Amino acid sequence: MKVKNIIITALFSLITVGFLIMNIAIEDKDISLEERRKLAKLPEFTKENIFSSDLINKFESYAVDQIAFRKELRSLKSLVNVKLLGQKDDNKYFEKDGAIYKIEYPINYSNLEKTTNLLKNVYDKYLKNMNVYYAIIPDKNFYLEDDHLKINYDELKELVNKKFTNIEYIDIWNELSLDSYYKTDIHWRQEHLEKVANKITTSMGNEDLNSAYEKQNVGKFYGTYYGQIAAEVEADEMYILKNEIIDNAVVYNYETNEVLGVYDTKDTNDKYDIYLSGATPLIGIKNPNVKNGKELLIFRDSFGSSLAPLLIEDYENIILIDLRYISSQIIDKFVEFKDGQDVLFIYSTMLLNQNILK
Amino acid sequence: MIFSSITFLFYFLPVLLIIYYLVPKKAKNIVLLVSSMLFYFVGEPKYIFLMLVSILVTYIFGLLISKYEKHSKILLTVALIITGSFLVFFKYFDFLIENVNLFLNNKLDLLHLALPVGISFYTFQMMSYLIDVYRKEVPAQKNILTLALYVVLFPQLIAGPIVRYTTVVKELEDREHTFEKFSKGVTRFTIGLGKKVLIANVIGELASIFLASGDRSVLYHWMYGIAVMMQIYFDFSGYSDMAIGLGKMFAFEYNENFNYPYIATSITEFWRRWHMSLSSWFRDYVYIPLGGNRVSKIKWIRNIFVVWLFTGIWHGAAWNFVVWGLYFAVILLIEKILLKKYLDKMPKIFSNIYTCILVMISFIIFNGNGIKDISENLLGLIGYNGIPLVSAESIYYFKSYFIIFVLAIIGSTPLMKMIVNSEKLKKVSNVLEPVFVVIILLVSTAFIVDGSFNPFLYFRF
Repeated sequence: MKVKNIIITALFSLITVGFLIMNIAIEDKDISLEERRKLAKLPEFTKENIFSSDLINKFESYAVDQIAFRKELRSLKSLVNVKLLGQKDDNKYFEKDGAIYKIEYPINYSNLEKTTNLLKNVYDKYLKNMNVYYAIIPDKNFYLEDDHLKINYDELKELVNKKFTNIEYIDIWNELSLDSYYKTDIHWRQEHLEKVANKITTSMGNEDLNSAYEKQNVGKFYGTYYGQIAAEVEADEMYILKNEIIDNAVVYNYETNEVLGVYDTKDTNDKYDIYLSGATPLIGIKNPNVKNGKELLIFRDSFGSSLAPLLIEDYENIILIDLRYISSQIIDKFVEFKDGQDVLFIYSTMLLNQNILK
Repeated sequence: MIFSSITFLFYFLPVLLIIYYLVPKKAKNIVLLVSSMLFYFVGEPKYIFLMLVSILVTYIFGLLISKYEKHSKILLTVALIITGSFLVFFKYFDFLIENVNLFLNNKLDLLHLALPVGISFYTFQMMSYLIDVYRKEVPAQKNILTLALYVVLFPQLIAGPIVRYTTVVKELEDREHTFEKFSKGVTRFTIGLGKKVLIANVIGELASIFLASGDRSVLYHWMYGIAVMMQIYFDFSGYSDMAIGLGKMFAFEYNENFNYPYIATSITEFWRRWHMSLSSWFRDYVYIPLGGNRVSKIKWIRNIFVVWLFTGIWHGAAWNFVVWGLYFAVILLIEKILLKKYLDKMPKIFSNIYTCILVMISFIIFNGNGIKDISENLLGLIGYNGIPLVSAESIYYFKSYFIIFVLAIIGSTPLMKMIVNSEKLKKVSNVLEPVFVVIILLVSTAFIVDGSFNPFLYFRF
């Protein structure tokens, strides 16, 4: 009994004092690669904020973010939550057959209404004399046959369709499957998008795509879902599709004024940024191989980055507009809207279910 | 600062323990006093002065009551009015104005006062001290710092239990620190931490999911009712366990606050097992002084309603708490007058189910947000308004939370305690206890680090 008391005292002291020392000694990190976010910094203790009850909350955020072995503790939590407590998801993430998914549920009717209203206003303001189309990209949960919660996809499509009455719908859902998506990320794989690209371009009045592609492996891809849950999941292999058209295309980043290629190999935290430099408000692709005067405007989210290179073939110019990063009220200051342009709205179900467009 | 936080577990507590156990005996109370003040200040920087003023008032009047016996009743009354008025003002002023405004054309402005954290707990502690001094159960404390320490001692300061001065008076002056007390404190604290973080927070998240969801089914309503029951019990009793455990680490012995209330076979028994420090406070300082049950029947019924009205309103300044308190008053009366003999004869499983259902209903009222919300959640239990028996969402969460429900139900009975303390398993338990402490501590830490749901339920108290 006495030995037990000493052991418990020693262990408790070791753990609490041990973590205290490690938390102080170990240098604070700025970002978490696994969680794709900045980590909280030590709040300032000033005369003003010392009397604020918010200071302790900020310190707690800092303490939680910067705790020693944070990655291992998160894995432990995920393991206990799923394997021992039998939870079907851990913070909405779950693993199935070596892939990680995130529950997208339920339909947020208010967000969907606001997002589709904004896009309809864009159509009404700028696009009435153009050839306008829209497509919805299903999140990969659609193709998963199991009992995890999913939104009612038919209902979502119907609600969007009611809003976009004058805009032609391009159904790409049959051109995709579970394999079309990364195991560790939300996005689709570019090397599985040939059918999608062809469906879109032919629906917009173009001929079938001619080009063959060379598939180039660019290494391992640890997607946004990797590390969110304690699961034995291998990293994805990432590929880019190349051909003469894509290789010769000239990309102009309106935000940074850089002239680049389609595939940007700059080192970033997210390898998916290889496709058209990732998150950019406005990016243009010129196709020197074609002089037909045809222009395509794509209102898109991040999925559009890997799709757009496969649509270059039929257009002299493609402009990609990401309304998450540029306001719909001022795009006419940067983009010339001409009668007869082709316009494509292409958004994922996840984006439509949020209210993040400007 | 809450106990189930990284700031408390791995900054405040280890630093305090190091300092406390390094300083000589004479300095230990000062260390505890300063650290308790700091503990309170970081969470409530604006109203720490209110608590200090209350302590000063309590100290002065304690001495006066003790010295001037002839006037002790008046002095006690004044002291209770002053200390109580702080509580009434900050907690109930806006509630009173809201209700007065229902009858006025020109609405009075609300003050939108923030409730000072822990005010209900420390006010009741101070009141009990004053009354005990008046009753000569304990001499007045001449050392203001010792009295202050009794009031502000951080383990029980913001979420109870309500510790009587008589319980800790000797330990305040002199207490023995042993490995046995410390390790028992560690084990108790860890159990409480596990109850709060691994059960209460997890099952409480289901209750939040239900409230945020538009989906409704009979199954979902029952899951919500049981989840609320379990969340409140494991959070509150977990917090009490942590408080008692922390007390032991500093060589204080607090009384128990919960005694497996969900095995009760009547509401009467339930309240002898639930939040015992509060129910005994009302019994000793309100019910018995009013005459208890040694008065006429009418007065006895009055006494029951007064106590339960106060019990309800103590939990928060809103009508659902009043209804909650009076709900128990009615049931207790019915049990005492009519049902007791039947409950005593009934197989315990049935009387336990009866008790648990009534308690669940009470917590749906307690947790409710307006009459419409409460009625929907109660009527949903019987499928009112044509809601389906099950739904895809409710089945999903039933599967997801099934093990948690089972663990919570088992954990709310003394089964684990009986197994661990049985003669046959005592040796094994002794060996496994340190392993258990380490595992629960680390897993709880993991859940705090990666959890987004860690509510402090006592902000209304």
